[in-house]
Amino acid sequence: MEKSPKKFYNPKADVRAKLAIVMGFSTIGVFVQHLYVLAFILLLSVIAAFIFKAELYKALRSTKNLWYIFLIIVVLQSIFIHSGRIFLQIGSFPVLTMGGILKGGEFLLRVAIIVFSATIVSTSNSREVVQGLIQMKIPYDIAFMVSVAIRFLPLLRNEIKDTFTAIQLRGIEIKKIPLKKRIRLYLYVFNPVVAGAIRKAHQLSVAMEMRAFRAYKGRTSLLHLKFCASDYFIMISMLLFTAAVFVIYYYLGFPKSII
Amino acid sequence: MHPVEISDLYFKYQDGNENILNGINLKIESGKVTSILGLSGCGKSTLCYCICGIVPHIYHGEIKGDVLLYGKPVSGMLPGKIATITGIVFQDPDTQLFSPTVEDEIAFGPENLCIDRDEIARRIDICLKLVNMEKHRFDHPENLSGGEKQLIAIASVLSMDPSIIIFDESLSQIDREGKSRIKNVIFQLKNNGKAVIMVEHDPENLELADEIYFLKNGKIEKIEDLKGGGFAGFYRV
Amino acid sequence: MQDFIEFKKVTFSYTQDRMILDCADLSVGRSNFTAVMGPNGCGKTTLGKLLVGILKPDSGEIILDGRDVSGMNLAQIGSIAGYLFQNPEVQIFANTVIDELSFVMKIKGIEESIIDKKVSEVLELLNLSAHKNSGTFSLSYGEKQRLALAGILINDPQFLILDEPTTGLDIERKTILVDILKNLIKAGKGMMIMSHDEKFINNFSGTILKISNGKITKEIL
Repeated sequence: MEKSPKKFYNPKADVRAKLAIVMGFSTIGVFVQHLYVLAFILLLSVIAAFIFKAELYKALRSTKNLWYIFLIIVVLQSIFIHSGRIFLQIGSFPVLTMGGILKGGEFLLRVAIIVFSATIVSTSNSREVVQGLIQMKIPYDIAFMVSVAIRFLPLLRNEIKDTFTAIQLRGIEIKKIPLKKRIRLYLYVFNPVVAGAIRKAHQLSVAMEMRAFRAYKGRTSLLHLKFCASDYFIMISMLLFTAAVFVIYYYLGFPKSII
Repeated sequence: MHPVEISDLYFKYQDGNENILNGINLKIESGKVTSILGLSGCGKSTLCYCICGIVPHIYHGEIKGDVLLYGKPVSGMLPGKIATITGIVFQDPDTQLFSPTVEDEIAFGPENLCIDRDEIARRIDICLKLVNMEKHRFDHPENLSGGEKQLIAIASVLSMDPSIIIFDESLSQIDREGKSRIKNVIFQLKNNGKAVIMVEHDPENLELADEIYFLKNGKIEKIEDLKGGGFAGFYRV
Repeated sequence: MQDFIEFKKVTFSYTQDRMILDCADLSVGRSNFTAVMGPNGCGKTTLGKLLVGILKPDSGEIILDGRDVSGMNLAQIGSIAGYLFQNPEVQIFANTVIDELSFVMKIKGIEESIIDKKVSEVLELLNLSAHKNSGTFSLSYGEKQRLALAGILINDPQFLILDEPTTGLDIERKTILVDILKNLIKAGKGMMIMSHDEKFINNFSGTILKISNGKITKEIL
């Protein structure tokens, strides 16, 4: 991958502008409760993600394991919120109602908005994100630790995979083990993974200290982010758009749902 | 004045039963590669930790004797100062690299030392050239081979411009090609007047060594004659 | 003698631009010693992982003891071919040596006396009897590696695959490992070792495999 040597700032969109987009969409997503509005915001965030060439497909795949949890939450929401037409009833207790399903749908849309707009930030590398946070006055230590965690998450995932593989190769067919014994088994897997993670973290911290990490109160940075015209445009438009949505919403009296 | 002067060094780890270093006397010279050999667990790494300040600043224990860097005791030096005098490259490339690009990795040390950006950029250029990795400036360290990762780890240490560099079994996980590239760099460092210390348990990596010491039972002995079989005698358990 | 391991036109690649194996063929006998050598990144570890089903080939067949690897689960494969990871700490699960070697058999419900006997045998084989009552955390790196190997051998696989077993070992430990492996070979076990350590490999006799341009070539060791 050939990249022109960057000077001290990145000529692409500033990570802080991207953060502004994420914050704007996510804030609207959290406070607005109207299905159509949420769907529209989701559409906008997907378009924004495309514009920034975010890897949407990869994000979808990596959240695949959480889809079950989402589905359960949707079902639970619809069980506890009943209004409108009743689809399923047990005795005199409405289980699935039109209102409930719509509420569940709103929840899904909210999550989707947050996930998709977050992929926009992932188009900046971790060093840029850390620098953006620092220039927004977040302490370096915190920002840096987050970036290190991001760096090591895939390594951790691979180790967990290897450990699961290793224990099965010893002759254990996980699927055939009854649930009670299986929990004990997971503890056995837990052991090397945790020990390995602690060991790596320790070695890493020694290496960092040997390179003068936190030797002085402050630190300089090779990378320095500078806003350019398009960044200002993005941030101002986002601010105006978010404000407009809330004003219109307020003017219309915070409509809650479409029924 | 010697870059490293160790006199009567005794050390026991905080949770250890006995001394791991039992009276070490050692002088390291600039422009030379000093190799310290020994079996696993003999204390060679501990000795290095005493030189670069990991002992006593990170690992604690009972320490007696002096470790002087250019005449000044390590124990009294601040970590920021030590980093500009000694650098250490560890065995596992993966736990020394944590930045998204090679350039960021090499910049990390100087940034911590509050060096200004132009100087940092200049140092990155020099260090990448020394380890012959200029092509990989914007690569993610994850995508490099083991040998290349170690070269970046070396560059990241060199960017703080230390005059003493310690290699703690840095070659043990590397294949033949990687080893030869790293050895080339070590040779250049020696010729540039650095004091290089190589901790090894593989005698195969000794071709560069100007002075060889063997650590056993907490004591250090100089090996004068490599070929005369005295060497194998040290290893016989 | 029927071949124990067979690769039939196996193709594998991690990314689209680099093929590790391209329609590669291989056959290894049940008591053969094979070394897989080559620079890091050429596919040594990949070969081992394909063999025990950790990785699935893009196309082709891998046969282990007459059965297709893709039709077996990891537990079944592990009883035929044991795999020692490069980092032994990944496969040490328990807090004590005894627990480490017996927990699998306990889960399977095997009788206590048989478990005791097998544990003692395997500890003896791997020079670890002195550590029978030790905690796994107090073992040195070399001892942990032998413990991981013990955990594999207690399953009594016919074949062993070891990925870079000399990493982190000094001369003395390498010598101990050579002796142990030679004893296992004498007992009739087949072995495949991935290594870049020529001196270590020269202690054995058998075949050397080299992977290049997607194909596997054999040489005599």
